[in-house]
Amino acid sequence: MRRLDLWMILASVVIGACAVLAQSSTARALASPGFVNRQLLWLAVASALLLLFSFADYRILVRLAPLLWGASILVLVAMFVAAPVRAGTHSWFVLGSYTIQPSEFARVATLLAVAALSAGHREGQLDLKQIGRLCVAVGLPAVLVALQGDLGMALTYVPILLAALWLGGLPWKVWVGIVLIGLVAAGGAWTVILKPYQKERVFTFMDAERDPYGAGYQQRQSQIAVGSGGGLGRGLHGGTQSQLRFLPAQHTDFIFAVWAEETGFAGSALLVLAYVALLWRIFAVAFNARDRVGVVFAAGVGLVMAVQILVNIGMVMGLAPTTGITLPLLSYGGSSLLAAGIALGIVQSIWRLRFANV
Amino acid sequence: MLGRVLFDSTWFVRDDLRPLQRRLVMMMLGLGVAFLAMLARLWVLQVLQTDRWRAAAENNRLRRIPLEAPRGTVTDTHGEIILDNRPTYQLLLFPEEMKDVSRTESFLTGIGIADEAEVRARVTRARKTSHLPSIIADNLRWPQVASIAAHQAEFGELQVHPATRRSLPAGPAVAHLVGQLGEVSPEQLAANPSLRSGQLVGRSGMERAYQDTLGGTPGALVVVVDALGKQVSSLAEEPPILGRPLQVTIDLKLQREAADAMAGQVGGVAAIDPRDGAVRVLLSQPAFDPDLFAGHLEPARWRELNDDPLKPLHNRAIQALYPPGSAIKPLWAAGALADGVRTPTDGVSCSGAVTIYGHTYRCWLKGGHGGVSLTGAIEQSCDTYFYRLAQDAGLERLAGWATLFGLGQATGIELAGESSGLVPSDAWSRRARGHPWYGGETISVGIGQGPILVTPLQLAVAYAALVNGGFRVTPHLAAAGGPAPTPLNLDAGTLATVRHGMELVVGGDRGTARRWASLPARFAGKTGTSQVVRKVEGVKWFELPWDQRHHAIFVGYAPPDAPTLVVAVVVEHGGDAGAVAAPVAARIIQKAFAPDFDTTTIKPNLPEGVDLLPPDATDGPDEPQTANLTAPAPAPPPAGGGAG
Repeated sequence: MRRLDLWMILASVVIGACAVLAQSSTARALASPGFVNRQLLWLAVASALLLLFSFADYRILVRLAPLLWGASILVLVAMFVAAPVRAGTHSWFVLGSYTIQPSEFARVATLLAVAALSAGHREGQLDLKQIGRLCVAVGLPAVLVALQGDLGMALTYVPILLAALWLGGLPWKVWVGIVLIGLVAAGGAWTVILKPYQKERVFTFMDAERDPYGAGYQQRQSQIAVGSGGGLGRGLHGGTQSQLRFLPAQHTDFIFAVWAEETGFAGSALLVLAYVALLWRIFAVAFNARDRVGVVFAAGVGLVMAVQILVNIGMVMGLAPTTGITLPLLSYGGSSLLAAGIALGIVQSIWRLRFANV
Repeated sequence: MLGRVLFDSTWFVRDDLRPLQRRLVMMMLGLGVAFLAMLARLWVLQVLQTDRWRAAAENNRLRRIPLEAPRGTVTDTHGEIILDNRPTYQLLLFPEEMKDVSRTESFLTGIGIADEAEVRARVTRARKTSHLPSIIADNLRWPQVASIAAHQAEFGELQVHPATRRSLPAGPAVAHLVGQLGEVSPEQLAANPSLRSGQLVGRSGMERAYQDTLGGTPGALVVVVDALGKQVSSLAEEPPILGRPLQVTIDLKLQREAADAMAGQVGGVAAIDPRDGAVRVLLSQPAFDPDLFAGHLEPARWRELNDDPLKPLHNRAIQALYPPGSAIKPLWAAGALADGVRTPTDGVSCSGAVTIYGHTYRCWLKGGHGGVSLTGAIEQSCDTYFYRLAQDAGLERLAGWATLFGLGQATGIELAGESSGLVPSDAWSRRARGHPWYGGETISVGIGQGPILVTPLQLAVAYAALVNGGFRVTPHLAAAGGPAPTPLNLDAGTLATVRHGMELVVGGDRGTARRWASLPARFAGKTGTSQVVRKVEGVKWFELPWDQRHHAIFVGYAPPDAPTLVVAVVVEHGGDAGAVAAPVAARIIQKAFAPDFDTTTIKPNLPEGVDLLPPDATDGPDEPQTANLTAPAPAPPPAGGGAG
């Protein structure tokens, strides 16, 4: 057995520490002291899962992918019946005093399924049948999640497909086609799927002054929070935007704004660099993986995480519309932390087995 | 079996991964660029634009709650309080904290703040300035304060706020003088940033004239609020600066006396010190309860007052215009003597009527006065004398004298909305009426009838010049004084002759106000009865409907030898000047110069059952001045005795 990748662990620990500090601030602002302890608890469980999966053999998990993927689809379908509507969506499954968000775990299963499908690919031989399978493997859970009402989560499935197709060597002509189809699909989604509040978000993104007290409010408040942090921040628990609750959804979607306001550019740059280090290590694993499956899985995990970070922080800074995409490892939420722990554990397993000959 | 499934060698075969790694590096490069851009954007927002976003954050959390400044007090010439403040409670609404607008509205309606529509209007107005609290109600009653306190948890947007409200111990007697407060207008707000929406400023009267003195400067409380608009803590307080006190020339005891004397009558009173123009009394009847205007007035109450046919909001002492009637005669006499149109000894024989320009003009005394001199003509108010005088002088001279004594122009008192009156001329006639001046009208003007209109205050100023040695004064309220009097260059002998005539009006055997000669404080003056409709022979004035009776006018002064008070009284449709207007002036003068005398014994001399108010206030009186200005005057004009 070879060593785990300690840099990745270190980066995760730094991000986790930032998360605890930021959540202690939102806990104070929202008068919910339980946030910090819960976040710590989830971090502990996620670390355990990370270690557990590090010592598993990712190849077995990939072999089990069809099973896990099928089970995920069943659960997602069951959500329409079993999950009560929370925050306008069917995304949460209530278990006692905890809520579980199956779409987070389904995404790991989808990553495994895509990796499994790519096992049979050979350089320069990506055919339509294979592309079709990839699209179904990603599209089906993504559509189910979108239908539950969690569009932001559904969008985080898309990078999995992009990573698989990109690494699978899809010719550039096809990429042009995808972009065109994407535009058409976006137009279709605009007219058929998007709910009025989602359209309003896009309008607001394009013109924040459109409705300063309505949909544009969040975006503006979050921008004020980030900007007023300045170079060194207003001090932990000293951010007026978060403490006086001008920041919306500050423990989830807008947690980065809390961090940026209270720790300034110094803190937010530290956090971004920790993310960059984490991603660097994930892609390093992909680069060093022993087989195609490992490359695709690790790169998929990395790309999903990178897109989440870019879109979330972009939204917090007012560069992207408010989509409901959370910030991995920082946003409050057990499911997302646990799923991240599992995904990173599998990546560690790929690293550990990078020289395995069997 | 399971092992073979799980470890199918074709699945995890180690084929050439270099093309994948190449594409992976390209992906990483793309992401690297994106992360660099993100860091750059963070740098711009947090390091380069710190100040801008800090300011926005401060603007979010800090809120200025203006603190109203108590207005200055006003005292009369003796230091007695005319206008003061009393503590009261206001209701503030913080619109951003309102959870359910209709619930709040029905609560406010329920505790009797106003009716439903009015409450809705105020709440709607408050929501327009949503970042500031608005005064939603004033002068709360105790049960209302208690109800709001009991429901404070439910309605966090409501806050009872201690404030002050104007109090006027003299009540309606000073209503017009003090004037009204009103909410600051959008134009005033734009012009003066220290004012705030909903703040009260002087709209009329002294409150308006001395807004800068009385107004004070509102302060502010800077508070920290959270996203829900809830007050978290307060940072700093700029205390409001109280309005400055003001002393005025008004004599409150005379003002009260005037109000008592005018009770149940309609008209205006102006009393000034003829030596410098200091205003002692300025009264208009009917009045209104000034407390209605001491805070935020309900539009319904305002409409009620505004639509009242007797026009209680009108300040008759400076705004109402009346033909002066015979009260003009002393001015004509002085002018005629000064310009040599008459000498003191010139006499006229009055036979009760005179024919000029082929038209017969009647004296008020049917049988005539016989031979009268100038002083006798003033004493008995002989119309014939003044018809002849007007004929000899001509319109231009008459108009010149009227202008000399300050008629036809605003007196210059500090109060806004003063009427300037009317002194006729040919040019005016052509412009306003579209026809030239008729010679016959000049004869009517000789007895103060026709298109010559004055306010009570103008009469007081004109008489002041007659009795102070010939100086035109500017009436003023400020105890600090007003502009210096203007010398009119009138001969002392001329003035002495006219004053002698006016002394005979009260003191002479045939004076038109001789009824009041026995009062302890002697006074002089002149009666005037200005007709509203053509006089009908054989009909007594009190037999006419109220709104067709003549206006009763008396301008008096005292003491006769060295006057320190001129009182001008107009009782609308009072009918008989000597019987109705003179006693009002007499009461004020007795109060001033014979303080021990019981002035309530002075009563208007009225026949049994005659009332000086319209029988039904909803059938309002005609506006005589308007009728005079707009009705095309027939040629020759109505003429008849202005009874003195």
